Amino acid sequence: MVKPDLSVSLGPLRVKNPVMSASGTFGYGLEYAPFYDISRLGAVVVKGLSLSPTAGNPPGRIVETSSGMLNAIGLQNIGVERFVADVVPRLEDAGAAYVANIYGKTPEEYEAVARRLSEVPSLAAIEVNASCPNVKEGGMAFGSTPEGIARLTARVRQATGKPLWVKLSPNVADIGMIAAAAADAGADAVSLINTIVGMAVDHRTRRPKLSNVTGGLSGPAIKPVALRMVHEVCRRVSIPVIGIGGIQTAADALEFLLVGASAVQVGTANFRNPRACVEILEGIEAFLREERIAGISDYRGTLSR
Amino acid sequence: MAGRILRNEPHGEIFYRLEVSVPGPVEFTPGQFAMVSGWPGNDPLLPRPLAIFHSRSAPKGKCAVEFVFKVVGRGTALLSGMHPGEPLSLTLPLGRGFDLKKGGRLYWLVGGGVGFSTVFPAAAALAWQKAEFEMFLGSRTRRQLPPKELTPAGPAPGRVHLCTEDGTAGYFGRVTDAVRERMASLSADAASRLTILACGPREMLKELALAAADRGAEMQASLENHMACGFGVCWGCVVALRDGEGTAYRRVCKEGPVFDAREVVW
Repeated sequence: MVKPDLSVSLGPLRVKNPVMSASGTFGYGLEYAPFYDISRLGAVVVKGLSLSPTAGNPPGRIVETSSGMLNAIGLQNIGVERFVADVVPRLEDAGAAYVANIYGKTPEEYEAVARRLSEVPSLAAIEVNASCPNVKEGGMAFGSTPEGIARLTARVRQATGKPLWVKLSPNVADIGMIAAAAADAGADAVSLINTIVGMAVDHRTRRPKLSNVTGGLSGPAIKPVALRMVHEVCRRVSIPVIGIGGIQTAADALEFLLVGASAVQVGTANFRNPRACVEILEGIEAFLREERIAGISDYRGTLSR
Repeated sequence: MAGRILRNEPHGEIFYRLEVSVPGPVEFTPGQFAMVSGWPGNDPLLPRPLAIFHSRSAPKGKCAVEFVFKVVGRGTALLSGMHPGEPLSLTLPLGRGFDLKKGGRLYWLVGGGVGFSTVFPAAAALAWQKAEFEMFLGSRTRRQLPPKELTPAGPAPGRVHLCTEDGTAGYFGRVTDAVRERMASLSADAASRLTILACGPREMLKELALAAADRGAEMQASLENHMACGFGVCWGCVVALRDGEGTAYRRVCKEGPVFDAREVVW
């Protein structure tokens, strides 16, 4: 049988397959090169970049919870200039399609980071983090209302000609409205969900387990919530939707494609198994072969009721 | 890499020795670790970091790695209940281990609690290098000292100092007190040649670091922390280190787990 067609279109960007890493779980991509050829992925989405290097939150940054984990890293990163100077050439050498996730303390900072990255020819797309729950200025202020997301999206949109994705928070009343606002303001795709705000405390020491008190929940525990939100957003907007949230296996990824996502991002699974993305990719291909499905587009959004 | 359990048995009262067959030889620096998982399902979600205790390479692919661990939570409890023949998933070797390369040093290896599982491989390496070293091993009580059969040959009798907090074996008191007392007897010259290699509770490491600094001795401290990945991407396991005038967060799994004790913000 012929090889199934795994390529997908994400608005103006065509990627060779629908499996990408989720920002914050894949470093700058190169950390995974010892485990497999990272150019095999649809795209590598790197850890959130800010205008200046960021130190992140004090220790007490992660806690394991039932079938999941809470993190409050606080967007520690090397800053956009060092990324462009040190990391980009090595991602180019690795032949990887890569996407920069960006955030700022102010709309002006988002804009400045986007402008700087627009000068990098090999960059495939920009993903705006409008949803980090762990820092005051992580985008939640912009990302939790339709008006806020529209303003931020429009601002970055006029700063860059690169394909523009907006990453959405689940910590909102109506994610469909937020997605529609991003689409109307010029986003080429939306990616969802970011982590769900949660908390863990120690009943003996009577202290919170995270220095930040609250953190973002990820892992298999959040998959049903993510799937419901992706399904909802796919019915609400006409731009491509990238599904994220608790994907551990090829079956999990296929479920997101089934409810209408054009692609998926794999996050926390990379921590427990450094080969998770590529194993999920192989599993999707094997499934399409087994079921004699010609390509992703013949499967995507075919949920029946 | 995929491994298979060869044996997994209790040693002493609280320790387990886990031997795992692996596809190829594993070369490691003492102090390096592995991320280990293998229990079914998603809960607990994350693999557990375990210091590499021993590695054996043999012809016909009969290579194996060993770990010695203590049950501290659900992950290690599940691991302790696994049987020979069951598959394990391993990522290794990870992190930066002890630096044992410098010649002319006098080494003191200090293990608190299960910390011995990190310093014993260093003892084996130092014995092989014919380096001069002593060991200080501390626990709450006699039954929680490192099992004899796991203790490496090497240091002459009288150079292994057992310490128990309840006085049931060896020195009556904390291992840090034993180290301090012995340190007081060192000449200034000997103290300046001393390198302490230590793994154990943070309070123990902090006290040793102060003692070492007092006498101008070097110290390499193996730290631990909760970590999600073990290979530098989650940024969950950071500790504060001195950096110029200020401090910077460094990853226990990548820049560590062994750090120069003078750089750690205790």
